[in-house]
Amino acid sequence: MELVSYLIEALTPLNLLLALVGVIAGTIIGAMPGLSATMAVAVLVPFTYVMGPASGLIVLGAIYTGAIYGGAFAAILVNTPGTPSAIATTFDGYPLAKQGKGALAISLATLASVGGGLVGGLALLFLAPPLAEVALAFGPSEYFWMAVFGLTLISALSVGNTLKGLIGACIGLLLSAVGVAVVGGDVRFTFDQVSLLGGIDLTSAIIGLYCIPVIIDLVANKAPHLKFESIKGKSSLSEAFGLILKRKFNLLRSSIIGTVVGILPGAGGSIAGLVAYTEARRSSKESETFGKGAPEGIVATESANNATVGGGFIPTLVLGIPGTPPDAIILGALLVQGIKTGPSLFTDQGSIVYTFIYGLIIATLLMLPVGLILGKYAYKSISKTPKELLVPCVAFLTVIGSYAIHSNPHDTFVMFVLGVAAWFLAKLGFSASPIVLGLVLGKIAEQGFVQTYLIGSAQGRTLEMFFGRPISIGIIVCCVIALLFPILAARKQKKREVIEEPSSKPSVLVFVLALVGVGIVLFNDTKNMSILGAVFPSYIAGAMIFLSAVLFIKLAIKKGGFNQNAKLLPNKRQAGVSLVILLWTIFMAKIGFGLAAIIAFISIMFISTFEKPKPMRVVINIIISILIVLLFYFCMKEILLLRLPSGILF
Amino acid sequence: MKNKNLKSLFVPLLTALSLSVTATSAVANDFPSKPINYIIPFNAGGESDLSARFQQSVFEKYAGEKAVIQYMPGAGGAVAWSQLNGMESDGHTIMGINIPHSIMQPIVKDSGYTTDELTPLYYFHYTPNAIFVPANSQFKDLGQLIDYAKKNPGMVTFAGSGSNSANHIGQATFDKLTGVTSTYVPFSGIGPAMTSLMGSQVMAGFAYATSGASAGDKLRMLAVSSEKRLSAFPDVPTFKELGIDLVGGAYRGIAVPKSTPEDVRQKLSDIIGNINKDPEFVKKMEDNGFVLTDIAYENMDAFIEANKAEYQGVAQLLGLIK
Repeated sequence: MELVSYLIEALTPLNLLLALVGVIAGTIIGAMPGLSATMAVAVLVPFTYVMGPASGLIVLGAIYTGAIYGGAFAAILVNTPGTPSAIATTFDGYPLAKQGKGALAISLATLASVGGGLVGGLALLFLAPPLAEVALAFGPSEYFWMAVFGLTLISALSVGNTLKGLIGACIGLLLSAVGVAVVGGDVRFTFDQVSLLGGIDLTSAIIGLYCIPVIIDLVANKAPHLKFESIKGKSSLSEAFGLILKRKFNLLRSSIIGTVVGILPGAGGSIAGLVAYTEARRSSKESETFGKGAPEGIVATESANNATVGGGFIPTLVLGIPGTPPDAIILGALLVQGIKTGPSLFTDQGSIVYTFIYGLIIATLLMLPVGLILGKYAYKSISKTPKELLVPCVAFLTVIGSYAIHSNPHDTFVMFVLGVAAWFLAKLGFSASPIVLGLVLGKIAEQGFVQTYLIGSAQGRTLEMFFGRPISIGIIVCCVIALLFPILAARKQKKREVIEEPSSKPSVLVFVLALVGVGIVLFNDTKNMSILGAVFPSYIAGAMIFLSAVLFIKLAIKKGGFNQNAKLLPNKRQAGVSLVILLWTIFMAKIGFGLAAIIAFISIMFISTFEKPKPMRVVINIIISILIVLLFYFCMKEILLLRLPSGILF
Repeated sequence: MKNKNLKSLFVPLLTALSLSVTATSAVANDFPSKPINYIIPFNAGGESDLSARFQQSVFEKYAGEKAVIQYMPGAGGAVAWSQLNGMESDGHTIMGINIPHSIMQPIVKDSGYTTDELTPLYYFHYTPNAIFVPANSQFKDLGQLIDYAKKNPGMVTFAGSGSNSANHIGQATFDKLTGVTSTYVPFSGIGPAMTSLMGSQVMAGFAYATSGASAGDKLRMLAVSSEKRLSAFPDVPTFKELGIDLVGGAYRGIAVPKSTPEDVRQKLSDIIGNINKDPEFVKKMEDNGFVLTDIAYENMDAFIEANKAEYQGVAQLLGLIK
């Protein structure tokens, strides 16, 4: 009965309005790569001091859940996850949008997000204390195996190209080791660059790896970015609804995976999405469509990542241990209000906690209308925006997004370098996703591995620690199935897909040889590290040397199947746009954030103009450019309160 | 040519700008004139964040302006501290600063800054270390744990936050003082470390006493490294009471860019000092296991020198320097 009275409390007009505003703001922030829920929630915490705890928490929760959902927009429309949670959404969302079905993809993401959010929210409402025990049952070895399970997705992502996928994963894992190590405290792979001490920021790396190649390819020719098809008579919503109904089991399973992964502190939405995606692909009857625009892939990722929101609050509220960074800030807000978290919270402070949980569930439901309306316009406007404005807009977002994470121009530079590297890698047949997977899972895998080893060897039962625990065994079985399944499926089909090398033989051979060299250099570097710090990167570097050597031999003896006419170098426009972004990242701090953005924006606009423009058009475009930059500048400086370098002007 | 034109345009502008900057900084009476950026060099959710949030809730009462908390995590704080001196120095940008971090990091490796380049204004609290065990553990008091560790060298596993951290230093000092050998297992933060401890993945935890405040009855605190017992945990003995001379933990304060004017520094130090006397603030801090300290700007140099000497020895103990 009490539960109902709390529901009524959550339904006051003020709380409803706050939930709505929160969801809209969250969705928009989430859709911008680099702008995160953490940022928005951190800025808004002081308002909760004056607003009353329950209402304040509802805004924060609504922004958080909206942001996780909003990440899908950028993933679908420009192939760049708006938040790391949406990494796996790019796998199928972008291909679907490329087929002209962007509206369908967004509807699918919306429905799946609402579904997943509800499962997570209901678990929080009814099952929080028992589910918190799940977090406690997961020890270091389970974290390690969970990361390995995530990595098995590589074998599925790179069918017919497994070696390249594995090498990509090694690159990602080695990138994740850069900086000061948590275990061992060594400084690794920084090559004496102080700016690399903090490591490679995941979000800026994702923006670079996914988005920069899109920008460079956009200016290659004048073909439009996305086709816009208005299908008459059939709404994308009812089609999406039908597709989801057929896959309700996938939705439920992915939501449960999301809830459970959300409960684990330090795992979060990106891993939930990847694990749910792997599982959906394995159990699907049409697994070969995954990666080519499979609705199931979008459903799995988006339901799982929104389920982590409710799941993440379970350890936050029950154990006082935040599941994710936004949870951590919300936990701080609770403590400042004098609310003590812990098992007694649900009884002692029921009115605040339950009002908040209902608020979160209401916010999740509000994502449906908000998402469908925003989604419709987002897709339309992205596909209708002329290229000369779209390209600078996307480039602008990559730069401000990677800068905004830590207000640090260095992150922007790393973003650019990785992005250009990803573009070249794609030309040589290496895709970005295995690198991202390695980067996301590397730290968790390494820490889990070393911690398990430390605990095991302290007590003389290392093997038992790795292989003898019930949950670990369960995950190991899943890993084996996930690894063998694509191989067996390929056997069954009997005909092996021969994938043509996209580049010429000498260029790919030289590159693979260079990888061997890099592996040797990094392997030698691990000799100066402590044992704890060296064990993981030395194994990975060793694996990279071995895999690259095998690939080299395989390619060297391979006859034919190379694209000898492939051009490895960018054309003039592509080089131009890269150069502008490079100069932008270098001189941003000196010229001033706003001025640099305006200059770069307009330069990129000219680079991506293909037809000889009318003078009037140029003037209008320049005005629009300046307005866009100033609008963002204002929002970032005055609303999100980011520190922007002012340089000489502004 | 083009460059020259730009220069001739900007040089007067620059002069005007820098003049206006110096003009405002000369008048510290106006300070603060806008919200103060309070940068936390770690992720949200840690002790630095929480204590800053407590300050933030009463900040306006003493400063006349709000504090805006931002996060700049990386390399255990080094990313933010190495950039601090390049930030705006009118006093409206302040940054959290920690000991041992800001002293140990430059001793051990090139961290992009040296301890002497930083300008701490006020160390307002410290979090003592504490030994935790799960509620169902066989160890009812510290004596039992030490006995077990003596009989089974290496078998006692301590979860803590990171390598070479205050927790790690505490564990190494504990080993040295009691003559036992234990295994330190570093986690990526207090949160994951406490989770693994609550789930009995490790035998014990070496973590800040503050972690005990939210864990409720899931954990048992065996001893705490403060001078006196903490008011939040009146039943937990100090190490000193048990005959182990282990006192200390992590100190937290605020710092400013080094070109911040002297009078503004003093004013900020006073603001933080006044917040430290606010009854509401004091209660929240102590309820959560923080120990307030009042190391103000005028006493800072002596405090830092003393700590530098101490941690030089600690670095040798951990085998980080020869």
